[in-house]
Amino acid sequence: MKSFTSRYMRSYAGVAGLFMLLVVAAVVVLTPLLSPWDPFAIDFGATTLPPSRLHWFGTDNFGRDIFSRVAAGAVIDLRLALVCVFVPMTMGIAVGLVAGFYGGWVDTLLMRITDVVWAFPFYVLVLAIVGVLGPSEGNLYIAFFLVNWVGYARIVRGEVLLISRLEYIEAARLLRFGGPWIMARHILPNAVSPALVYAMSDAVLTVQAVAALSFFGLGVQPPAPEWGLLIVDSIDYMRQAPWMTLFPGLALAFSGVAFALVGEGLAQTLRPEGR
Amino acid sequence: MTIRLKLLLAASVIALGIAQPTSAVFAQTLKVALGDEPLSFDPIATSDNGSIWTQLLIFDTLIRPDKAGTGLEPGLAASWEVSPDGLTLTFTLRDAKFSDGTAVTPEDVVFSLKRAGVDEKSQWKRFFNPITAFKSEGNKVILTLEQPFTPAFNNLALFAAAILPEKLVTEQGDAFFEHPVGSGPFMLSGWTRGSKVELTKNPHYWQEGKPAVETVELDIVAEPTARVLRLEAGEADVILDPPLNQIADLSSKDGITVGSAIPYRSDFVLLNNTRPPFDNVDVRQALNYAVDKDQLVKGVLFDKGKVAATAMPVMAYADESLKPYPYDPAKAKELLAKAGLADGFSTKLLVDSGNAAHRNVAVALQAMLGQVGVKAEIQMIEGGTMWTTTKAGEYDMALSFATSDTVDPDQLIGFLAVNPERANAYHTQWQNTHLNDLYAKERATVNGPERGAMFKEMVEVFKEGAPMVFLYHPASNWANLNKVKGFEILPTSNFRLEDVTISE
Repeated sequence: MKSFTSRYMRSYAGVAGLFMLLVVAAVVVLTPLLSPWDPFAIDFGATTLPPSRLHWFGTDNFGRDIFSRVAAGAVIDLRLALVCVFVPMTMGIAVGLVAGFYGGWVDTLLMRITDVVWAFPFYVLVLAIVGVLGPSEGNLYIAFFLVNWVGYARIVRGEVLLISRLEYIEAARLLRFGGPWIMARHILPNAVSPALVYAMSDAVLTVQAVAALSFFGLGVQPPAPEWGLLIVDSIDYMRQAPWMTLFPGLALAFSGVAFALVGEGLAQTLRPEGR
Repeated sequence: MTIRLKLLLAASVIALGIAQPTSAVFAQTLKVALGDEPLSFDPIATSDNGSIWTQLLIFDTLIRPDKAGTGLEPGLAASWEVSPDGLTLTFTLRDAKFSDGTAVTPEDVVFSLKRAGVDEKSQWKRFFNPITAFKSEGNKVILTLEQPFTPAFNNLALFAAAILPEKLVTEQGDAFFEHPVGSGPFMLSGWTRGSKVELTKNPHYWQEGKPAVETVELDIVAEPTARVLRLEAGEADVILDPPLNQIADLSSKDGITVGSAIPYRSDFVLLNNTRPPFDNVDVRQALNYAVDKDQLVKGVLFDKGKVAATAMPVMAYADESLKPYPYDPAKAKELLAKAGLADGFSTKLLVDSGNAAHRNVAVALQAMLGQVGVKAEIQMIEGGTMWTTTKAGEYDMALSFATSDTVDPDQLIGFLAVNPERANAYHTQWQNTHLNDLYAKERATVNGPERGAMFKEMVEVFKEGAPMVFLYHPASNWANLNKVKGFEILPTSNFRLEDVTISE
């Protein structure tokens, strides 16, 4: 573990990404404590004020403080991004591992299911599922869980097929270790790193997808300060109060870059030196 | 092919110029950018604004609402006579032609009205099937009713009663509506779904010298801000519904004029009266007291509208002194306590995700209802599914609106307050037998103060019963380049273009 940390710290991209995520976390934790503004409080006497010392990011058309809203929105967006990445990742790793290790009809069955889900464009499938279930944060999770695991399953299966042919696995089989034991102890740790790297780039896409779905009214519901919602509600004000669009957009871009850099750091750290 | 076509057009323009040296040689095009797209040109099979507005530019009706929205004026009928018992309507047709040059005959009128009343596809049967006998005599059409039905006359001014050429419709069937022929000021010359509708002046139009412009382009631009940008760039001459928050800014710009009119429209929150606690009139009234409607008009509509006393627009027979529910949160809490809900309750509010004004209204409503302990969770749905969702009764509260297509209040009161009727009190399932009786009586009473008193009473009962949270009457807004003169939105929410001129 020590070597992992020190190797990660050698990656400039990884350190920068981690730092950026820490900044986001600090803002999320500190804003409710320090900001005098309630992100939901409507004040028709203070609408569309430009950024100032009082309102760092200005106010919106309801007189709500945009800084507080962007900070409160970070909780929603990052929660969605993390849950919508890690749950499908776990599902996908399990599927890929089982399919790749056992092969035969198990592999055929699982991979054909994967292919079917994979064949649909991502947004079409998510839109269809949310459309049927109705828009809410809970249904957003369900949609992502159902769709997002396929990438992981494919990556992990490929790795497992490679590793299964290596000599130490042959040895473990000859020593009559059970299948589950071999999978968990000898294959999983070696097959999982590309999935982790992929997860970070997936997080970038997920943050954007969540915002995009809100943009269409299919994600988180107002008045939740989710970033995509903040942006869609600002469209008509873009020319008079550009700060309403700018700051949620920057927040979205900032956390996207942060995840991408962490992914890069992980990739550099986990890259097997011999291969 | 296109080059040849253009040459042909150029040649014909030149020929026209030579034949009529006094008329302007420049072919003027009026470009209108709007968000509502026509779905169909069959007047009996449509109920969306995009279709209705476009149809009214192509087709004519016998009579039509006047520009002030207070009465009816001659359309294809030059004059008419209603018998004292209201059972016989006689129309004398004017000398008019369809855009293909054939004359509009009484047979065409009979065909079109029968079609609206009995055709399988007609969504407006109830409006026309009280007319039971049709007769044509010379240039007259005589319609008879078995039972007195006062709205019958008014309903002939509806777009669904548009007069179509019998021969072409029977010959071509549904294909006719792909390239319709009417007697209105314009004819359809191009239609790209999702993008634009092109109209050309009807050379045979019965109003001499109209329309003033040669062609009209209706550009479908869904995003309101994009419409404003088009106007500022000179790519549109007129835009409908600029974003409310940008109107003040637009009006201060050189070369641009903004206009605004309050049509017969009302916005409100439907309450599902079959679901507790909305089955309790105290709760429904409490919600009406809890909403600060002045604040909505000021803060969300930027003063482009007025507070509504009920969901009935202020139109013929309206009692203009009827006061809205005042904003009184204390009274609201008191009524909720009386209903056993002193601590409030939780509910859901459906909102059309594509309606920017409604999204904002919903956020403000949520905050206002929160003040009296009612926790409303906003649920956005796609506009197209709103109607089916509320019709199926799968909602608690839903932000909605209604517009009147006629100048007579019968259409809307029937739609909003009568149950059972077309929409069962607009899907609230609220029912008041006294109001139902008055509705039946009103329809059998000839126009006059007696019928007016019935409407006033119905609206009072409707307000008292509060099946909805009554909000406001929003203005329809538009903006045009200064060179465009004579554009306006009528009380029936549509617009006419035959009087619009462009000065270069």
